[in-house]
Amino acid sequence: MDYAAQTAILLKGLFPKLLEGFTVTLRVGLVSMALALVLSVLLLGPRLSKNRLIRLPTEAYIELMRNTPLLLQIYMIYFGLPLLGFFPSEFVCGVVGIALQHAAFLVEILRGGIESISQRQWEAARAIGMRRLAAVRYVILPQTFLRVLGPLGNQLIIIVKDTSLVSAIGVMELTMVGKVSIERSAVSIEIFAAIAVFYLVLTSVLGGALRIAERHTAARF
Amino acid sequence: MLNTLLANLPYLLKGAVVTLWLSLIVVTFGTLLGVIVGLCANVGGRLVQALVTTYVFVLRGIPVLVVMLLGYYAFPALGFRANAYLAVGVAQVIYIGAFVAEIVRSAVLSVPAGQIAAAKSLGMLRIGILRHVVLPQAARIAVPPLLNNSLTAIKQTSYVSVVGAWELTYAAREIVERTLAAFQIFLGVMAIYFLICYPLSLLARWCEKRLLVAH
Repeated sequence: MDYAAQTAILLKGLFPKLLEGFTVTLRVGLVSMALALVLSVLLLGPRLSKNRLIRLPTEAYIELMRNTPLLLQIYMIYFGLPLLGFFPSEFVCGVVGIALQHAAFLVEILRGGIESISQRQWEAARAIGMRRLAAVRYVILPQTFLRVLGPLGNQLIIIVKDTSLVSAIGVMELTMVGKVSIERSAVSIEIFAAIAVFYLVLTSVLGGALRIAERHTAARF
Repeated sequence: MLNTLLANLPYLLKGAVVTLWLSLIVVTFGTLLGVIVGLCANVGGRLVQALVTTYVFVLRGIPVLVVMLLGYYAFPALGFRANAYLAVGVAQVIYIGAFVAEIVRSAVLSVPAGQIAAAKSLGMLRIGILRHVVLPQAARIAVPPLLNNSLTAIKQTSYVSVVGAWELTYAAREIVERTLAAFQIFLGVMAIYFLICYPLSLLARWCEKRLLVAH
């Protein structure tokens, strides 16, 4: 049998496995995105606080997360938590690691968006008698949302790509399935080329969806 | 309290030196490749543009770890015997190149068309316009994102440990597997990465601010 036919058979046989890995990648991606978004919103208050005792530790956390590799943070959770008596699954460690880092990036995007809204918008809203909450809800947030949607979307795509790192702690997602499959079969680049296609489809679909969302939101205002 | 970290510090610093070298090489060549590719996209014909667009689209859409693994397995499959460093290094250069190409291309495109029209009406040649009008303005726009991109690239060098190339993160894992002092070692190593990356991030932010002032 020639090489191409053999490769085709192997890839066909491995396809269900890859698909399974792909769904795990999707799960890791979705959970860590949701977690990162929630965490970033929670961090936004402290980050914008006028009280230095609250703001400075938040800033320190954000800078530490942004200036150290994600892989190391995942390792710290994975190898560190058992020392404290917790034994979460690889999935949980990976998802928490991704969320902890990306929340730091997301909160800076949100902050940039809020600060880019002119102070006058706030003053004008207050001047026509809006309460603080109403001003935030009807004036500041909608404009912020419009501005941050683009960079926020880019960050979400980076999260999807970063899910591949949880393979380092043994989560059976797409990249890990690839590594394991290579050890069992002789085809190597072919498998990773297939995996690359999976990721490419995922990131482009997400990218496309985000661009459509952006256009819709822009049209609403 | 920090005795495990202190005892292993020389070993970690050796790893840090490898990380620094790897970063320097990967960032330099990756940026060089990206600048060349990005400029080609701006001056080249349709075919070149299509090729560059494809390159940028494909590479930016897949995780760097997958690109590294591809590089790692591609060398032997193509009949070359390359060590792990060379394989992941080349993979990373190609990966970074795509991001840099996109930055350079959009920076050149962001130079106002009026500038080029004005240069043409002064009778400047195409190459002169590129060299004296477009590039100096594009460079100013491109510097902050290029610095941020280098920062990402430095952090990404830690992923080569997954493929089996020894550097700071690999060294950290070795020590943790031996001593179980996960927090000490990983926090210590984070501090080392922070010392490498934070100055660069401050520089990037400073450049961004200066650019805003200038406009």
